Amino acid sequence: MIERLGYRIEPRSETTARGRTLAVGVALAASLVLCALLFLAVGVSPFAAFQSLAQGAFGTWRAATETLVKATPLIFTGLATAIAFRARLWNIGAEGQVFAGAMFAYWCQSALAGSSAWIQLPVIIIGAMVGGGLYAGLAAILKTRFRVDEVISTVMLNYIIVFALSLLLLKGPWSEAGGFFEQTAKVDPGSILPILFDKTRLHLGFLLALIAAAFVYLMIRKSPVGFEIRAAGSNLRALEVQGTNSRRVILMVMLISGALAGLAGMSEVYGVHYRLKAGAITSYGYTGIIVAILGLLNPWGVVIAAILFGALVNGATFMQIKTGVPSALIYAIEAILLLFYLAGWAASSFKLKRIKP
Amino acid sequence: MIADLLETSIIISVLAATVRIATPILLAALGEMIAERSGVYNMGLEGTMLMGAFTAYIGAYYTGSLWLGVVIAMITGGLMSLIFAFMVITLKVEQIVTGLALNLLGSGLSIFWLRAAFANAGQTPTTPFFDTVPLPLLSDIPFLGPILFDQKILTYVAFLLVPATWYFLFRTRYGLELRCVGENPKALDIKGLNVAARQYAAVVFGGLMAGLGGAFLTVGSAARFVPEMTNGRGWLAIVIVIAGLWRPVPVLLATLVFSFLDALQLQIQGIGVAIPYQLLLAMPYVCAILALAIRRSHSGAPAMLGIPYWRR
Repeated sequence: MIERLGYRIEPRSETTARGRTLAVGVALAASLVLCALLFLAVGVSPFAAFQSLAQGAFGTWRAATETLVKATPLIFTGLATAIAFRARLWNIGAEGQVFAGAMFAYWCQSALAGSSAWIQLPVIIIGAMVGGGLYAGLAAILKTRFRVDEVISTVMLNYIIVFALSLLLLKGPWSEAGGFFEQTAKVDPGSILPILFDKTRLHLGFLLALIAAAFVYLMIRKSPVGFEIRAAGSNLRALEVQGTNSRRVILMVMLISGALAGLAGMSEVYGVHYRLKAGAITSYGYTGIIVAILGLLNPWGVVIAAILFGALVNGATFMQIKTGVPSALIYAIEAILLLFYLAGWAASSFKLKRIKP
Repeated sequence: MIADLLETSIIISVLAATVRIATPILLAALGEMIAERSGVYNMGLEGTMLMGAFTAYIGAYYTGSLWLGVVIAMITGGLMSLIFAFMVITLKVEQIVTGLALNLLGSGLSIFWLRAAFANAGQTPTTPFFDTVPLPLLSDIPFLGPILFDQKILTYVAFLLVPATWYFLFRTRYGLELRCVGENPKALDIKGLNVAARQYAAVVFGGLMAGLGGAFLTVGSAARFVPEMTNGRGWLAIVIVIAGLWRPVPVLLATLVFSFLDALQLQIQGIGVAIPYQLLLAMPYVCAILALAIRRSHSGAPAMLGIPYWRR
């Protein structure tokens, strides 16, 4: 059609930073409009809804810190996804790796209950990284040794580990003595992540998440590992020709990615809920994928996107109380935001080329 | 108690359940097979099925007609896949990422809409659901009759689609062209045939089938919608297409294997064998990974699967 007018759509050789930022802006605006339409559809004034959303997210000091509490696991899972996607490894498994991290941390820590916090805290942090890393490493080995596509294997592993946790919790070795729900007993006080400010729930996990972001930033920018990750993302073959073992790179990226996701599970269990249950650690993995993409796969972008999403989650609860709009709305909005962003970004990577004089 | 499993009546009930459980997965897998034959990986199958399940339920609830619910589910599936097609064929966005976005959209939109529609109801209402339609004469055949010919109409449709897609792919000109789009789109383009149009059609067909498969879950059996009720069936359908080497009959066989595991699991739980049910529920997902890990042949995949076509 366009070709009859003497033009052709061609890909740009490189997308510009301006184009990407513009795409994020357009996506935000378009999602806002669609969101307003959804509010109208359920018979609520968009103005009142947005106001209560913002108020719930940032209205008070406590609300603002609560937004950061909600952002914390998303920073971890966003970083986990960003680092894998940078290497063009489609790790969809942050969801399961969050579970694995939480479970492994709990397994190690429960053996040490009663000991000093100086022992228990390092154990849960390292345990979470090992657990998440191993679970992601399984997908890496399936990919490199058995040629199982990582998208499929990580999704399947996400489903499998939910059943594994349920097996351990429901009348299993981890279930709370005399408890009715599918959850563990409260964890030992010595293993709880310290609260950063009085009268808030903001815990050490948020600080760890920022440290993780700085670590990922430095690793990608300054270390040879980061070079390999970036190179794997652009051309894995070239990396092999140059003498790098691509299997090693894939395994390494997945281990780091899984370790970061595992920390999200630890931080929710030991920073917010103080017990292990599926409801405490569900859905952060999938939301982390959106966070990573909207954060332009950049560590600091991930932090910003995670805080935005934390604000949405936190504000939505308040909005539901104030206006009666179901808070589940934000899950739809997040996906719409992602779709608009992808479309906008793709469109910004095209150019019109004149093919006829 | 294991011996109970070998009684004829139990075997018949497990196999009949296998055929029933296979229906939604088979529909989605055959649709996905057609889409992948055109070179497009629809990773948004899970979300498309989920929206199909939801809209069939809500459609049947408001219109009072099960068949209208089914039609609405198919339209929704078609629309979801149209978004997908636009994103990956026209805009050439990464297919995996777009698929994920659609999955998240399906899960978010269905939960939101369910809560918005039945905010004041303590429990979501149920709709009626399709009855089985025993085929005359055929359903009287001993053993095979109750397994194959005492099923719901959508089940017959799903199984008839196996020969239909086979005939389409391997015996018609359009099928040949579609396979060519997945293998060598340039050749088709040079002949002056529209590559994008064929890919759109294939992807939208996949969406219609995923919507239909989703509908079977609600108005076909459960009579109500539960958030995330597809529970990985869309992903299993994708695995089945790979394990089935992109061919209708092997796809059917792979579907039956997975459904048999599920049916067996239900039966084992039903007669109270002391195996933790979580192990049984996890079995299809473990088997999916194993199936992909031990398959010998890696051929059969369309050469251009997942790679957008650029005219240069």
